[in-house]
Amino acid sequence: MDKKILVIVPAFNECGNIGRTVEEIRRAALSVDILVVDDGSLDETAQEARQAGGSVVSLPFNLGIGAAVQTGFQYAQQHQYDIAVQIDGDGQHDAGYLGKIIGPIVYDQGDMVIGSRFLENTGGFQSSFGRRLGINFFVHLINGLTGVKINDPTSGFRAYNKKMIALFADYYPHDFPEPEAVVVAQQDCARIMEVAVIMRPRGAGSSSIRYFKTLYYMAKVTLAILLHMIRQRRKAK
Amino acid sequence: MNIHVVAFAVSVVIFLCVVDLVRRRRLTFKYAVAWLLVSAGAIFFTIFYRLVFLCAALLGFALPSNFIFFVLCCVFIFLSLLLTVFLCQQNSRNDVMAQKIALLEFELKELKKKLN
Repeated sequence: MDKKILVIVPAFNECGNIGRTVEEIRRAALSVDILVVDDGSLDETAQEARQAGGSVVSLPFNLGIGAAVQTGFQYAQQHQYDIAVQIDGDGQHDAGYLGKIIGPIVYDQGDMVIGSRFLENTGGFQSSFGRRLGINFFVHLINGLTGVKINDPTSGFRAYNKKMIALFADYYPHDFPEPEAVVVAQQDCARIMEVAVIMRPRGAGSSSIRYFKTLYYMAKVTLAILLHMIRQRRKAK
Repeated sequence: MNIHVVAFAVSVVIFLCVVDLVRRRRLTFKYAVAWLLVSAGAIFFTIFYRLVFLCAALLGFALPSNFIFFVLCCVFIFLSLLLTVFLCQQNSRNDVMAQKIALLEFELKELKKKLN
C-alpha cells in the first residue's frame, strides 16, 4: 500500500483530548501523516497536538468545523495526497478503525467511506435517544432527497479519495457539514459507502452540539440541505 | 406646499451626502450606486409629486401617504437584502483568506525548520 494518506483532525478547544487522539492515530497506523486543523482554539490545543507529533495548521480565528475540515482538504490537495481521512479531535472516534475505513478507498470500491455506528449492532456509544431520533430524521431526509441510504449521516469519521479531496477543497459546507456533505457528494455522483465502527462517548470538554440544542440543530441542518438542493450546480473547473 | 419643499430638501441632502462620501472615498462606487439611485428617485418624485398621487390612485391605495410608506418599505427591504449579499460575500472571502493564511503560515514554518 504505497498511497499517500492524510488524517485530518479538526479541533476547537480540544486541550486534554487532542494529544491522546494524535498519539492513538500514530499507534494505529505508522504510514499516515496527521494534520491537526486548530480552528482558532483559545487553549493549548495546537501545542498539545504538536507535542504529540502531529502537524498543526492554525486558523487565525474560529471558522467552524466545516471550514476547518476544508482547510485539511486544501492541504491534502496541495500536497497530492491520495486519501484523506477525517477524524474528530475529541476522542470519540477509535483510530483502530482507520484501516477498516480506508480499505474500500484503497481497493477503489468507493469514493467516500463513512464510519457508521448504526450499520451493524456493534454496540458502543450510540448517542442519546433524542439525538438518535434526529439522526434517523436525516437518514430519511437524505434518502428522500437523493435516494441514497446512509445510516449515520452525522458521523464525522470519514475517508475520501482524490476525487473527493478535489471536490471538497473547492466547496465544502461550512456550518453543519456532515449531513450536507453527503448530499454534495451524492450530487457529484460519488460512490458513498459505510463501514461499521464503534464510537466512544467524548472525553474532556463538551460537544459543540449540546443536548438541548438538538432540535435547533436539526432545523438548521434541514434548512441548509434544502437550500443546498436549490443551489445552482457548480461547474467543474 | 411646504411639505414638498421639506421632502425635496431632505432628498437632496441625502443625495449630496452620498456624493460627498464617494468624493471623500468613504464609499466606493459599487456600494454607492444603490443609494444614488434611491436618492435620485426620491428627488424626482418630490419634484413631480403628482406622479405619486397618480400611481397611488392607479394601484388602488386609499391614501397617497400609504403608497409612499409602502414604497419606502420596499426600498429598505431591497437595500438591506443588497447589504446582506455584500456581507455574505465578505464573509466567504474572509474564510478563504483565513484558510490560505493558515496554510501559508504552516508552509513557512516548515520551510524555516528545513533551513535551520
